[in-house]
Amino acid sequence: MPFFTPLITLLNPLVWRRGRAAQKFSAFALAERASMVDMQEAARLTPSAERAALYLRHAADESRHEKLFLARSAEIREELGKAPLVPSAADTEGLFAALGEEFFLAFVHLGEAVALEQFRLYIEYFEAKGQDRNRALLAGICSDETRHESYTFTLLANLCGSEAAAKKAVSRARRWRAWRAWRRIGLKLSGGLHGILMLALYILCAPLALLIRFVAPAKGGWRQLK
Amino acid sequence: MSVVLGISALYHDAAAALVVGGEIVAAIQEERLSRIKNDSSLPFRAAKACLLRGGLCAQDIDRVVYYENPYAKLERVLLSLMRSFPKTWRQFPRALASQLGAKLWVIDQLAEGLGVERERVEFVSHHESHAASAFLCSPFEEAAILVVDAVGEAASTSIYSGKGTSITGRQSVDYPHSLGLFYAALTAFLGFRVNEGEYKVMGLAAYGAPCYRVEFEKLLRVSHDGSYTLDLSYFAHHIGVDNGFSRKLESLLGPRRPGHRPWDLTSDGDQHYANVAATLQLVTEEAMLALARKAQTLVGSANLCLAGGVALNCVANARVLAETKFERVFVQPAAGDAGGALGAALLGATSLGEGRAKPLATAALGIDLDLERAFQIATEMGFSVRRVDSPAEAATEKLIAKRILGVASGPSEWGPRALGQRSILALPQERDVRERINRVIKKRELFRPFAPAVVAERASEFFVGVDPDMSPFMTSVCAVRDEHAASLQAVTHVDKSARVQSVTRHGAPLLHAITCGVAQYNGMPIVLNTSLNGPGEPIAASATDVLSFFARHPIDALLIGDLMIERGS
Repeated sequence: MPFFTPLITLLNPLVWRRGRAAQKFSAFALAERASMVDMQEAARLTPSAERAALYLRHAADESRHEKLFLARSAEIREELGKAPLVPSAADTEGLFAALGEEFFLAFVHLGEAVALEQFRLYIEYFEAKGQDRNRALLAGICSDETRHESYTFTLLANLCGSEAAAKKAVSRARRWRAWRAWRRIGLKLSGGLHGILMLALYILCAPLALLIRFVAPAKGGWRQLK
Repeated sequence: MSVVLGISALYHDAAAALVVGGEIVAAIQEERLSRIKNDSSLPFRAAKACLLRGGLCAQDIDRVVYYENPYAKLERVLLSLMRSFPKTWRQFPRALASQLGAKLWVIDQLAEGLGVERERVEFVSHHESHAASAFLCSPFEEAAILVVDAVGEAASTSIYSGKGTSITGRQSVDYPHSLGLFYAALTAFLGFRVNEGEYKVMGLAAYGAPCYRVEFEKLLRVSHDGSYTLDLSYFAHHIGVDNGFSRKLESLLGPRRPGHRPWDLTSDGDQHYANVAATLQLVTEEAMLALARKAQTLVGSANLCLAGGVALNCVANARVLAETKFERVFVQPAAGDAGGALGAALLGATSLGEGRAKPLATAALGIDLDLERAFQIATEMGFSVRRVDSPAEAATEKLIAKRILGVASGPSEWGPRALGQRSILALPQERDVRERINRVIKKRELFRPFAPAVVAERASEFFVGVDPDMSPFMTSVCAVRDEHAASLQAVTHVDKSARVQSVTRHGAPLLHAITCGVAQYNGMPIVLNTSLNGPGEPIAASATDVLSFFARHPIDALLIGDLMIERGS
């Protein structure tokens, strides 16, 4: 994260410009929802009732954060005279089932730490710019994130047997996170390339399209089923 | 004894269903486990949960049956894209990525994901799955079957005849003409989400007048033979635009309604949209009546099974029963795409020589509760937890004290309705109860009605036309008797109708006992019953999901099995 700190600071005016801020909060809301779903799954799958209770509390926090972010996003959009953004479906990956509890916890801990760092930079920016509502929102959420960061590490250390082993798990999660980001970029790039190729194919299909219109036009009415 | 797993997936509302020896053992929607509303991904979680309920593993499966022919689907998608060339240029890359990237290989993915040999995985057609889902677990030995949805491979509406274990295709109306997509496009026009907002349109319709008949005749024409055609220039589903309607529709009916704006039915603007909803509902009901009459003429049976997403339109279903020659109508609770999994499994079982399944008497086919774990987690969370000797009595006490109670009992429900296994219950006498549930918990539009659950034996005292085949699964509506309309305000819609669930001891034992208990207090064996979920969430299924709901939503108390849970001091 320290590597990205200057970049975030540099990009802050762009990210939080008047027309973008609502989108950013809406994206945070979506991330919180995805996290809530992941925590609920963890609660369902963990063998420990004690940890399940902690995961459910965590899920409840994420749900509350989602609502706060969505409300702020809608508020900003209203100030701009625009309709609220409609959140899309949460992008979850079934991390607990896929990674196991230790790796999952390491991943959640890392996610919370990164979010916390990022939010602190945003808070500084909001303070400097006098954007009190945004600052208060993130400051409130940061106190939860601090608790999440702390309890996930404690649980991880218990599960791994020592703090040193927990730190190793976090490093592994950091590498996996980078690999996942790289794969996502690759997916986007290949998606773009696929789109261009398919468009070329589409144009080449023009004669076929004309033929189909004559040979197999869409028909209304009843068709006999075989 | 054969073991067959049915699967529906990749469009919306994926599900798995397990049929063992011809009998339905489990049926679960993927969303109930993934916790993503209308999750369409391959339902491996649901499949595993079904096998767990049956005490089986992947090696025990004789056949996996997918609910759709992926090759026929690809053919229809390509034909449709080419027919509308060049307007489909945006849709073409997306459709090909989706079809060639995943959907075409679904049989292999299922074999790999479930850990069964490729040879054991097969497919049946989409509408055949729907037809089987309704007929093969219906109370009828023979029936006409009407399937009406958005689109399967090519068909959007089909008529089948069913006898014993055999289902024979008779006639179909093909895409792009589709009653389901017609309703979906207008749902989007009214500012609701497609595949979620259709119920809202149905509720809204009662607040309007069907004054746009002339305009709607331009959109949908029903022929004398019962078939129908859409004027495609008003629609956009065939060219892949997400909301499904064209600008021409807005020229005809005015601008679409912004989805975010709160509803105010006292304003002229929103009354106009309520009138659009009323006309849409009426036109859809009339099209359904024409289709049902055609099915009756074609098959000549006194029984009708309805399936497909449009069969979840309970107002239309009630009219089909009342206004056609059919004497009995059955709608399976998961009539939409999820139901295809059940149909596919039942078809697989009959093809392996099994007989018909017993008629479906309960929707409790889902995930069971682990009460010991629920007790431990709830205690860890700091809730006040106590075991009660009589859960029904404890629940009744809470309701009588005007509390809003969450209830989880036995296996979760199959289909979109909470039928007493995962429900929020309250007394139906007070309108402010309804408004509290709406405003604080469900955050729904205030025009949406809540449903009453009534003891089946006494249903006709309070409601007119309670149908014993459909009302156990809440797939029909009936009228509230005038003398009870005032006392049942919270569950009576503005048009004096109610989407009644008639509760039997076998179908939902706890809910039956609770409603009987309430009757001892106030003489009315009726409770308000709504689903145990928040806005945008699937209905809670496992004990942890139920506790998670309780932690996040301000209901007064929660009953899980014999555990009465309240918030600590």
